[in-house]
Amino acid sequence: MPVFKTPFNGYSVKFSPFYESQLAVATSQNFGILGNGRLHVLQLNPTITEITSFDTADGVYDLCWSESHDSLLIAAVADGSLKIYDLSLPPTSNPIRSLHEHAREAHGVDFNTVRKDSFLSASWDDTVKLWTVDRPTSVRTFKEHAYCVYSAAWNPRHADVFASASGDCTVRIWDVREPGSTMILPAHEFEILSCDWNKYDDCIIATASVDKSIKVWDVRNYRVPVAVLNGHGYAVRKVKFSPHKMSAIASCSYDMTVCLWDYMVEDALIGRYDHHTEFAVGVDISVLVEGLLASTGWDELVYVWQHGMDPRAP
Amino acid sequence: MQLTSAEEGWRSTIAMATQSDAPPNSIHGKPLNPGSQVTEPTVDDGQNAKAETKKESSPTSVFVNSEPIREEQVQNAVKFLSHPNVRGSPVIYRRSFLERKGLTKEEIDEAFRRVPDQTPAATTTQPVATSQDGQIKAPSNIQQQAPIQTLQPAPAGSISKIGRFSCFHWSHALLAVGFLAVSGAGTAVFFKKSVIPRLKSWIRKVVLEEEGLQKKYKVKPSLAEEAAAAAKAAAAAAADVAQTSQEMLISKTEEKRRFEELISMINVQLREMKLMSNAIDKLEGRTHGRIPMEEQDDHRVSWTGLRQPYANGKVDADSRSVRSSSPSASVEPSVAPHPKSYMEIMAMIQRGEKPSNIREINDAPPNPNQPVPLPRLAPRPKPWDVGQVQSTLTNVIQSQESSNGVSHESKDNQLNGDDVVPWWQRKNVRITEIDTGDEQKFGSSNVVSNARPVQRSWVPPQPPPVAMPEAAAAIRQPKKSLLQKDQLTDEQSLARSADVNDELQRITKLSESGGAVEVNGGSSGLNSSEIQKEENNSHLEM
Repeated sequence: MPVFKTPFNGYSVKFSPFYESQLAVATSQNFGILGNGRLHVLQLNPTITEITSFDTADGVYDLCWSESHDSLLIAAVADGSLKIYDLSLPPTSNPIRSLHEHAREAHGVDFNTVRKDSFLSASWDDTVKLWTVDRPTSVRTFKEHAYCVYSAAWNPRHADVFASASGDCTVRIWDVREPGSTMILPAHEFEILSCDWNKYDDCIIATASVDKSIKVWDVRNYRVPVAVLNGHGYAVRKVKFSPHKMSAIASCSYDMTVCLWDYMVEDALIGRYDHHTEFAVGVDISVLVEGLLASTGWDELVYVWQHGMDPRAP
Repeated sequence: MQLTSAEEGWRSTIAMATQSDAPPNSIHGKPLNPGSQVTEPTVDDGQNAKAETKKESSPTSVFVNSEPIREEQVQNAVKFLSHPNVRGSPVIYRRSFLERKGLTKEEIDEAFRRVPDQTPAATTTQPVATSQDGQIKAPSNIQQQAPIQTLQPAPAGSISKIGRFSCFHWSHALLAVGFLAVSGAGTAVFFKKSVIPRLKSWIRKVVLEEEGLQKKYKVKPSLAEEAAAAAKAAAAAAADVAQTSQEMLISKTEEKRRFEELISMINVQLREMKLMSNAIDKLEGRTHGRIPMEEQDDHRVSWTGLRQPYANGKVDADSRSVRSSSPSASVEPSVAPHPKSYMEIMAMIQRGEKPSNIREINDAPPNPNQPVPLPRLAPRPKPWDVGQVQSTLTNVIQSQESSNGVSHESKDNQLNGDDVVPWWQRKNVRITEIDTGDEQKFGSSNVVSNARPVQRSWVPPQPPPVAMPEAAAAIRQPKKSLLQKDQLTDEQSLARSADVNDELQRITKLSESGGAVEVNGGSSGLNSSEIQKEENNSHLEM
């Protein structure tokens, strides 16, 4: 499986929702502590090559593709800004927007897949902001968390509902039509780094935490988790529900592995890939190509492989 | 830390509550709430039914907490909020603590309503006032004790800075003062010993001279001489006195200076120790996401401060520790070992150096008013959109895709080559295609229209003639794995419904049998069991 080497440490990887062979990688210099950032846009045919890349003054922590425009990408930058890039324009015209409202690092972005008109940004300034591409300022700010918000995820079926995962050990579920959060899940005893919704059951949400576990919750009965997935050796950095298989979850962790789980099964761990040699920090599952996985980590490598195959196989 | 003792208070109130109440009700952290669980299923069913009938516009959304307020939890929260330690903390951390214990918003609001309110302004000024009191006390004490006036302003000024660490420095100040007093006393004693005998001897001399003079009253010059000698002696004595007093003054100023130097050096050491302890904490990875504010202020470089990717574990206990989560007795998860170069960079930044590989980049938009381009491609439907809500949208997409599909296909075909299968689409890939009309109800990721397969970049090649019929038969048998996924064509998949819990899996058509055999076709020496094993692997699909 081809590999792509980035000059900086990888932070996030996402497949394009429009083109099967396109994906983007967010990277930061010096492990994201202090330094520049770069956003790479790669294509997979015939091997992984770079289409274009964009440099930023500060590290890029996350990215998301637009669901409405095939050439737009949004980057969450460590200086708190969100930058929108248009691949149909030459690099000298990019970025087309820089939205700077967060007081601290922007750590996560997510694009609405239902109405496809808006996106969220999660920041270390304890807030989540709602934006649309055409507006220069945020539409709404959701300020309730008591600590950094690491991730925000839209519900795949309800256009107004999203969840946010925070370092205050809670996951909050919000409805953009309501003034405040509608549910508070005290999901873990330690910081929660990532959350994602089940694409096939809109009430199921998975949370990944510093306590090395992934918990799957049903919001209708949120006091007790549906499943607790143990197996990672260190903090779980990112969790993602499969777009093709209802109960499958992909996760990446500081134990340098990417794991696949089926939470409905007794022995939930169904795959483990230990191809990275440093923290595995980003993982994604392709929506257009079933079984295609991508991951990136602090070892400055991006792997794309089919589930069931060895990512490092030539 | 403030909150840990308050947590103790929380646990004791819980224990008391459980002892007093007959049924052991929900303990925080072990959520078993029989009361709420009884009410929930009935509410669930109602909500589920509603959620299914009215989708987005449902007022009773599933994502709302519909539990009634639990009085017990509210009472525990009230006890927690009334705890004296808790009262000093900002409101948001109290809320966060209660949220982590599993209280709902309504319960928390009710508890806050019941506890007599303390305004946030009062809570924040309180700790400031107490610290200032401590600082003012120190210099006043010193002033009482210091006998020497000149040293007052200096130690008072320096002691007020370090008023907190009074024990160490007070005794030190006392020692210095005592030493000075002793030296003063010593010089006084020295005075007595040296000056007074001189005076006495001088007086005796004078008296003797007087007596001698009376015998020879003619000796005036001798008297004058003696007077001169006496004056000289007096002058010498006075000079001595002046000298010693001057020396004393010098020594005093020197002491003062040394004292000040000592104080400043201790301050520097203290700051360094603080930095080191912070660095150690970080190296052990106990901070998440941010570092204390005072460190950010210390660095005068223009960059806005450090970021620390969180490792595992809880936040260190510094002046901002109240802000963070304070896990209870549970074991802290082990810290992931960070890469060595990561540690080096962290250490470099702690020292105030900037890594040399950072460039100045201007990433501002060159034209912020650039109009956002119109979308060129219609959004592709998601595999989980089963078409109920998206039916109208799909009709629009059908017409668009028909025009876009061709251009898209040509673009990809140019890159692919017509017959070359992209490496990432081989073997286990299920390219969803709809061949039969009756499957149209379930949308697939690529195609929406019925009976017209959209040309995608990868066209499945025709399955080659089967080399081994038994192998083909083995391939076509349904597998027993839990992650069931059919290897079969449409007709056969419909016929065999093994434990498929996901309908979509049944529908996703497969050219995989073609693909799989194509891969295995080269190695025709494989027997059926090996082929089965291969198929097993390919069953672990997403």
